[in-house]
Amino acid sequence: MSLRFFARLSPLGAIALLLATVGIGMTLLKAMRYEVPLLPELTTSVWTVEARIGFRGDGGASKVEFLLPPRVSMQRVIDENFVSRGYGLAILETDGRPRKATWTLRRTPTSEQALYYQVRVLGGSVVTDSSVPPFPPVPDYKEPLASAIQSVLSQARAQSADVFSFTEQTLLILADTDDENVKVIRNVQDRPSWEHLVAEILAGARIPTRIAYGLPLERPLVETQLIPWLEVHNGDDWQGYDTATGEPGYPPGFFIWRYDDADLLRTREVRNVQLSFSTTQTSVPQMEVAELTGAAFAAQPFGIDLTRLPVSVQNLYHVVLMLPLGALVVAFMRVVVGVPTFGTFMPILIALAFRETQLLWGLALFLTLVFVGLSLRLALAQLRLLLVPRLAAILVVVVCLMLAITVLSFRLGVEQGLSIALFPMVILAMTIERMSIVWEERGFGETAKETLGSLLVAVCGYYVMNEPHLDHLMFYFPELLLVVLAATLLLGAYSGYRLTELFRFGALSRGR
Amino acid sequence: MTEPDKQDLTSRRRNGWLGRWQALRGNGVLGINARNRRYVMRWNVRSKYPLVDDKLTTKRLALEAGLAVPDLYGAVRFQGELIHLDELLAGPDSFVIKPAHGSGGDGVLVVTDRRRGLFIKGDGRALTLRDIEFFVSNILSGVHSLGGIPDVAMIEYRVRPSRLFDAISYRGVPDIRLLIFRGIPVMAMVRLPTRASDGKANLHQGAVGVGIALDTGVTGHGVVRDHVIDEHPDFGTPLAGHAIPDWEALLGIGARCADLTGLGYCGVDLVLDEDRGPMMLEVNARPGLAIQIANQCGLEERLKAVEALIQVPTDVSERIALARALDAEARPSEVGAAPLSGGSGAAAAATSPPQKARRVLLPKVPAKP
Repeated sequence: MSLRFFARLSPLGAIALLLATVGIGMTLLKAMRYEVPLLPELTTSVWTVEARIGFRGDGGASKVEFLLPPRVSMQRVIDENFVSRGYGLAILETDGRPRKATWTLRRTPTSEQALYYQVRVLGGSVVTDSSVPPFPPVPDYKEPLASAIQSVLSQARAQSADVFSFTEQTLLILADTDDENVKVIRNVQDRPSWEHLVAEILAGARIPTRIAYGLPLERPLVETQLIPWLEVHNGDDWQGYDTATGEPGYPPGFFIWRYDDADLLRTREVRNVQLSFSTTQTSVPQMEVAELTGAAFAAQPFGIDLTRLPVSVQNLYHVVLMLPLGALVVAFMRVVVGVPTFGTFMPILIALAFRETQLLWGLALFLTLVFVGLSLRLALAQLRLLLVPRLAAILVVVVCLMLAITVLSFRLGVEQGLSIALFPMVILAMTIERMSIVWEERGFGETAKETLGSLLVAVCGYYVMNEPHLDHLMFYFPELLLVVLAATLLLGAYSGYRLTELFRFGALSRGR
Repeated sequence: MTEPDKQDLTSRRRNGWLGRWQALRGNGVLGINARNRRYVMRWNVRSKYPLVDDKLTTKRLALEAGLAVPDLYGAVRFQGELIHLDELLAGPDSFVIKPAHGSGGDGVLVVTDRRRGLFIKGDGRALTLRDIEFFVSNILSGVHSLGGIPDVAMIEYRVRPSRLFDAISYRGVPDIRLLIFRGIPVMAMVRLPTRASDGKANLHQGAVGVGIALDTGVTGHGVVRDHVIDEHPDFGTPLAGHAIPDWEALLGIGARCADLTGLGYCGVDLVLDEDRGPMMLEVNARPGLAIQIANQCGLEERLKAVEALIQVPTDVSERIALARALDAEARPSEVGAAPLSGGSGAAAAATSPPQKARRVLLPKVPAKP
């Protein structure tokens, strides 16, 4: 069935199909694989994580050092922001170490001070540092803790096969608070957190562990602290564990700020230091995220990435890439609908001008220019000038008219009148010349018909070229040009009736 | 399916655009896109276009082949030659100036007489030599040619229209358009100037196109601005039923013109001069489609029949016989029975009898308005 369909395709149909398939395929791949949004208004939810460092100075020089999230967590960050009015800020980066922000001030007021650091984080999967740790030494436990731990570990060892299942079993046993050994273990209170104690127990089995401090991005939190989370390494990967239940995994959207007990905050010459974190969820356009991360375009093995070009060139391409669509509109209107126009591509150039002037103003200005230009051209006819000088004269007249309209509208305070300079002057001059000849030879009716046809096509072209969705698609997926090409090829092979012919040949449409 | 059923179905489908589309398809009407893609592009070699785009070349080819064309009095190629224009125009009292690359009858100036140093145009207006210089200079700048390329102005013999057309033609020269496909005439019409067309035989400007039965050379319906008419818009004289004289010869000239230009699909424009008989005016590589309306018949069927021929006879008379057979075959119902089947009853009554009588076109007293 499908084979027969392909066999029946003409070479042109096959080429068009191929082009369209490649174009759409690349577009979809880009959209799915690299998450470039197909629609400009698609949004994604982004978390803003804010660290607030509050303190009081003592009138002298102060210094606050704050550890920023590790490089691996920064992969999820689309941008960061430091809010520190009046403070000197330096960001130190040492090889392999997380960055450190240092705020300094010569005379710190004694009033309440606050420094903020904000990151915008994408929701979604947790990323953690993948460095391979050494095997920890077996800690030196004190009795009765040592025997309790030994018994828990041997029990877990009997019920497990590898590092991860061993960890799970250990955590399950530790969750059973009725167990005598567990009671002994839970009595120990001098560790910073339960996670630290579990890490110490696992070290007894020489299992590498670390504590990741971070924030769950599930619901907005205010004035909270980083929570510790256990991570276990099995020789290949790190795996987070919920020490309360023994479940592998992380809290939803866990954003890791630091590992183990590195100092998060170090201050000098300040008092009453408080550090707290808040999270809040906002929705931002996907496009912004894709542009901010650059990730959407960075890793493309193929295709055209226009976002890396200088901005002025990008702006140019926003326009240039719409031109093929305009040409497609013209081809469609002429071949399928059969609208008469002045010149082939005059309508799209006019439509491009409309993009800048806005439609109604554009129409008004265009008609004014053409009307006055045409009157002057018909007056020039009396002088019997040669063709090319006559065209040049019309061009001068058109420019004079533009100047007049611009100056007049500026005096009147009508901003839109200024944009008239965007009309393609040479095209206008030639249009006026052709109009006057059509007028002289075929009369007013034909001139009006072709003018209205040109304007109709220009307005259609304007609506197509001014469509933000199409602009977005063409700019971020220039591969779609192949689809446009396929469509024009098919239009070129169209041998059916033009819609206007249905009326033209109306006399022949009676049945026999 | 029985006949009434079918008719019922088509009449029901006739409403709406899709219905019109299907009706046109059913009647084998050729659209512009189909003409360009299937016939013009396929059968006309691009390299032959200059032969017909430049009327001077066409004229030379026709002369070499021994075909009658209007005499060329002179050609102006450069603006500088304009100072000698008076010498070029010194010859006959009446002449025609036209661009060698013009299309659709644009930019043609007909001077019928001269009086006290002034040139009298076809419509009676007088022109000075300077007017004509300006006109020629416009032609040279390429105002009338496609794409505005510099052009050549031709000054040639003005055709005196055969008196036979006086009753159905306003002022100018009616011309006969033959549509030739692979050297075989497939359809014909005569274009009659009207007051609206300013005496020009140009359909775009409002001239009447009147279909001609290829088989008999007898005129049928007319078309003006894509509407079917049966009477001349200026005189009210019936358009149908006039037999074109020398029909066989005209078909022969058409077929030979197509041969010498080498175009597979072309339109040949012929005129009947009162003194010199049939003459070739020009050949068109993209002939218009209004000929279908004038003939009340789609082109597609005939073109397909000719396209299906494996070998086209080289002998002109054989080809003409073939064309006549095709025509008789293609519309037996229209020529034989009633030319306006399904059309208005009054028109059918007015035009059907002469089809058999083959009334010979005679100079008649024009109906005075």
